[in-house]
Amino acid sequence: MSHRLSGPERRESILSAAQGLFASKGFYGVSVDEIARAVNVSPAILYRHFASKQALYDAVLEKFSGQRQSYVDTIVNYGTRFEDALAGMTQVYLSNIAENPDILKIELHSLLEGNPATLAFFQNRWKSFTDYIEFGLNEYLPYDIPHRERTILSAGLMFQGMLRETLIQKCLQPQDRLVDLSLHEISQELVTLFLRSIGINKTQLSRKATITG
Amino acid sequence: MSNFDSELDASGLNCPLPILRAKKAISALEAGQTLRIIATDPGSVKDFEAFCKQTGNELVSSGEEDGKFAFLIKKAA
Repeated sequence: MSHRLSGPERRESILSAAQGLFASKGFYGVSVDEIARAVNVSPAILYRHFASKQALYDAVLEKFSGQRQSYVDTIVNYGTRFEDALAGMTQVYLSNIAENPDILKIELHSLLEGNPATLAFFQNRWKSFTDYIEFGLNEYLPYDIPHRERTILSAGLMFQGMLRETLIQKCLQPQDRLVDLSLHEISQELVTLFLRSIGINKTQLSRKATITG
Repeated sequence: MSNFDSELDASGLNCPLPILRAKKAISALEAGQTLRIIATDPGSVKDFEAFCKQTGNELVSSGEEDGKFAFLIKKAA
């Protein structure tokens, strides 16, 4: 039965089984044998498609890197106002994970496992937000606010924390406390709370909050 | 060789910052003028292709130079 799949179909089925197993058990919790068993092939056949467990894991991560195009859409369509683009990016990120919570599970496992390459992969995804926030706040945060530099440095991390916890609530908890809010509303709410927490309200912002090139 | 009207160094920045800054820089140009962008994020190659496709600006060239990515964009009329 299993021999009827074409090469690419077989590869895809291995990849998808591996994704599910890595998401529930982490990299170290899964063996190549177990992945092969899940798709009903011998480890030898699996190795024909992926040289190692690491190669398989990398291929799973690679699949998740396809969200860039959507940030371009966001920037082209949302204008250049700081809070609009941030809310747009947030919504893209939330939708991606909501569609595929495995990526969040794999990330949480990787934090405990501590593999430097994997940590760098996820850090790089968050860097889009932390860079953007750091850069944007540098541009327009009033110069007279207390601890300006410290605020700018910690603000990106704080937003990352807010967004990650939202994702955990939304995607991993058996009861979704945010069930009545759309992803659009959650994104707007997160950005509003974030701005308020660093002492900025939207009216202040809209007067001068564009990022200069 | 400086066949461009404006230049933007987006080294070290992740998507979407290079796109955002390029958009801003292009808005300050006249139609037909060019912007050269330097970036280090490998994803920027696809990003600028998509950006130009969506905005109608012309991606005159896109390539790798000394481990960095260089783009030349001409503002649409």
